[in-house]
Amino acid sequence: MSEERPPDELARLGARLDQLRPKGDAPAGDGDAGQQQALAVGFRIGIEFVVAIGVAMGLGWAFDRVLGTRPFGMIVFFFLGVAAGMLSVYRAITGQSAAVGFRPRQRKD
Amino acid sequence: MALELHPLEQFKIAPLIPIHIGGLDVSYTNSALFMTIAVALITALLVLGTRRGALVPGRWQSIAEMSYEFVADMVETNAGHGAEPYFPFVFTLFMFVLFSNLLGLIPYSYTVTSQIIVTFALAATVFIGVTIVGFIKHGVRFGRLFVPEGVPILLLFLLVPIELLSYFIRPFTLSIRLFANMLAGHTMLAIFGGFAASVGLLAIFPVLLDVAIYALEILVAALQAYVFAILTCLYLRDALHLH
Repeated sequence: MSEERPPDELARLGARLDQLRPKGDAPAGDGDAGQQQALAVGFRIGIEFVVAIGVAMGLGWAFDRVLGTRPFGMIVFFFLGVAAGMLSVYRAITGQSAAVGFRPRQRKD
Repeated sequence: MALELHPLEQFKIAPLIPIHIGGLDVSYTNSALFMTIAVALITALLVLGTRRGALVPGRWQSIAEMSYEFVADMVETNAGHGAEPYFPFVFTLFMFVLFSNLLGLIPYSYTVTSQIIVTFALAATVFIGVTIVGFIKHGVRFGRLFVPEGVPILLLFLLVPIELLSYFIRPFTLSIRLFANMLAGHTMLAIFGGFAASVGLLAIFPVLLDVAIYALEILVAALQAYVFAILTCLYLRDALHLH
């Protein structure tokens, strides 16, 4: 088994490999890779919502402490947290990645 | 026979070599030891694996090349063009989290990623880094990320805080996801292990359950490393390609 082989044999091997390899490395939704990606998405968004509300309420509590507006900061931030959580979950499952901000509809990259 | 269960004892940080510098406790702990082991193993895998550079790779070279290609592919598809300079960072992050997670599954070892301070430090690095990259690439215009297009001015008063909030929760979701998964899994393993020790012959059931959970934990370990890296890529894309 030497490592110096005629290059045309290598090229043929490469061509055969390309032929046998399925087009597109990770077709979403089928096969092992697709299933793993689905699992990854599941794990991703599972915690997003809860943490958003938690962090928002923590912020609200901090605001209240500094400004002495208890309990209004916490209430306002609770709803903001719900909205932010919903938004990130919505974006994660509609394939807009975790992007903050809306995307122009016509452009898709 | 009262057998005490301590499912959380495995997460205790114990100083191995006490070091104190100016009242600051910087002791070398069991956590630091396993971080060192993870880094050493990754370095060994990549350096020794690719040392021969054979055309037809052997086992170790295959593993090294596969992990490289896996992450390179992930960066390209998720972070888009122009993200190549950040590949080393994402690769390092992925390998470190993966190895820490998998090392933690070896009995009597320590799971570094079950400490929220570790995962938060990683997530904060990603968050701050991505924000800096965004400001370097786009300057003040990076702030437009928080201002949705084509929205009435009045609604902006509501939407901008929501966008800001959903940006600033990123380091928290990133770190809590990894930390909570590792903590929960290992606690569960320890609890059922404790049951097995205290119920005599019936121990076969908790042990079987532990085997099943262990298999699941291997999946979770790999998947969480994947999720961590892929989210880093997605955040990077936001910063690089401002829409």
